[in-house]
Amino acid sequence: MKRWLYNPVLASSLKTRMRGWRTAAAVTAYLGVMLFIAYIFFKISFENEIMHSLSVSANHSVGLRVYMLLAVLQFVLVLLVTPAQTAGVISSEREMQTLDLLLCTKMSPLSIIIGKLLSSLAFILLLVISSIPLFSLVFLFGGIAPEDVAMLFLFYIITAFAVGSIGVFYSALFKRTVVSTVVSYVTIFFLGIVSVVLGVYMMAVHYSQVPRPNDYYVPFILYINPAVGLSDLLSRQAGVTATGVSVGIWGLIFGVSSGLGVQQGWFQKLPLWVGNCAVMSVIAALLICASAWIIRPYKRLRRKS
Amino acid sequence: MLVIRDLVKKYGNFIAVDHLNMEVERGQIFGFIGPNGAGKTTTMRIIATLLAPTSGQVLVDGIDVFKDPIKARGKIGYMPDFFGVYDNLKVMEYLDFYGSAYGIEYRQRRKIAQDLLELVDLSDKRDAYVDTLSRGMKQRLCLARCLMHNPDLLILDEPASGMDPRARAEIKGILKELKRMGKTILISSHILPEIAEICDSVGIIDRGKLVIQGSVEHIMQRMTGRTAVRIKVLRDVDRAVSLLKEQPMVTSVIEEDQELEVICRGSDEDLWQLLRILVNNDVPVISFRKMEGNLEQIFMEVTSDEEVAL
Repeated sequence: MKRWLYNPVLASSLKTRMRGWRTAAAVTAYLGVMLFIAYIFFKISFENEIMHSLSVSANHSVGLRVYMLLAVLQFVLVLLVTPAQTAGVISSEREMQTLDLLLCTKMSPLSIIIGKLLSSLAFILLLVISSIPLFSLVFLFGGIAPEDVAMLFLFYIITAFAVGSIGVFYSALFKRTVVSTVVSYVTIFFLGIVSVVLGVYMMAVHYSQVPRPNDYYVPFILYINPAVGLSDLLSRQAGVTATGVSVGIWGLIFGVSSGLGVQQGWFQKLPLWVGNCAVMSVIAALLICASAWIIRPYKRLRRKS
Repeated sequence: MLVIRDLVKKYGNFIAVDHLNMEVERGQIFGFIGPNGAGKTTTMRIIATLLAPTSGQVLVDGIDVFKDPIKARGKIGYMPDFFGVYDNLKVMEYLDFYGSAYGIEYRQRRKIAQDLLELVDLSDKRDAYVDTLSRGMKQRLCLARCLMHNPDLLILDEPASGMDPRARAEIKGILKELKRMGKTILISSHILPEIAEICDSVGIIDRGKLVIQGSVEHIMQRMTGRTAVRIKVLRDVDRAVSLLKEQPMVTSVIEEDQELEVICRGSDEDLWQLLRILVNNDVPVISFRKMEGNLEQIFMEVTSDEEVAL
């Protein structure tokens, strides 16, 4: 492997994580939960249809509903699992007293942080990829194109990257894993709930000042909420596929604007979920750099000099 | 090999390292001795590029560790006073991991790891999980770890602490072998006799200051003329201590339960006078034993009385 691509922390974690039964058990439990909820949904859907129309029709609307359910379910699981995976990566090194040993090697603090983040994300990626067969159930009913699933999974990966970088940042900032884990979840809560409340309030204020708005106003705070990005992505996919129009990935990103809204300026012209991904990626990159700065031994010296 | 110039480390108002100056020559084993909290670990962490000093300079083989820490790290092998092992790694994987962190190629580091496991007598444990090793084995593994990149200078922070005599002897044997291989070793301990026999020279640090530095023989020579006496009293320890401290020949008194360790100048005649003073003042002395001069006494004296003239 090319030297600049090789990260010892990542390589070592990948090797040891797959050892033993725990990872296999975690993947099984994860898929089990998703499968169980999908099964309950199917059961209730079919029982409702039988009660109301005395027949069962496996049409694309069922597929779409199952897809939405699985997409939201997986999204929630990614949000719940990622902080647990990442919020201890640096603090646990401190607790095990191995961080100093790493820092006095030739690895830079940035490569240590990236290695730790990627090794945690590799596990999330494994969970997400292992759920692909579950998503393929949707193709039985139609209504969802493989590109839609690919785009959804891309969104998951970016979300996991962003949420993971929050966990890593707190892990570098706080000495104890318990503290960093709790603060990570509180931050995720803020991103998920409080940002929506604030966003809706800002929208309400905006529209109360403009009686007949001819644009859609999306407050910036909503761009930091991955749930808003997901809802935009899913609504676009549902809207597009409902009319039977098959558009490619580029068409969805740049061509269609059926989601939450469009505003002036190049950034706002992008679909909201793309803007959401961009903002989350920038925040993640900043948090990774900040984490590397926090753990570097000579920060005080450089600041003084 | 190692030059420390006017090193200062402050934490707020607390001075952990106070204008420290010292030199260690290539191929030497230097004993860095001091009581707990004296500044040994702080100094070692600064040399290992893990801590920024408030001021001063540290040169390792001519490289300023603050100006070029990455290059300096290639020259330094640091072993902290804790094990720092990943419990989910096997012994060989553990060494391989740190080898890769130092940028050593795969095949090369496998070979180095095998050689080092032989050196520290852990070849038969290469496929064992690190957490199944005994304390002594873990310590030897940590020593092997800090040798992975073939450093010239080894910084070993209390490598023998908490180990049984057999494990200590094994570590000493390895250190002697490393010296033979030309490594420079800076080794710390809060117990001087523990490492004195393998050290070419020692430096005693107390409250951040290097109190005395030189070869063991040199320090012993400077300390001649002083005697340690262990006195046991039945009761009235406080009165005995105050009486002893009043005597001009006494340089320090250390109290341990009912026993007193007294360092004093002078001949056997003076010791008799000391005993007579205690007895005449009705101090119930039940044991009065002159101790042979050793490094422990020197250490005790140097670190308990900063004002003592050396």
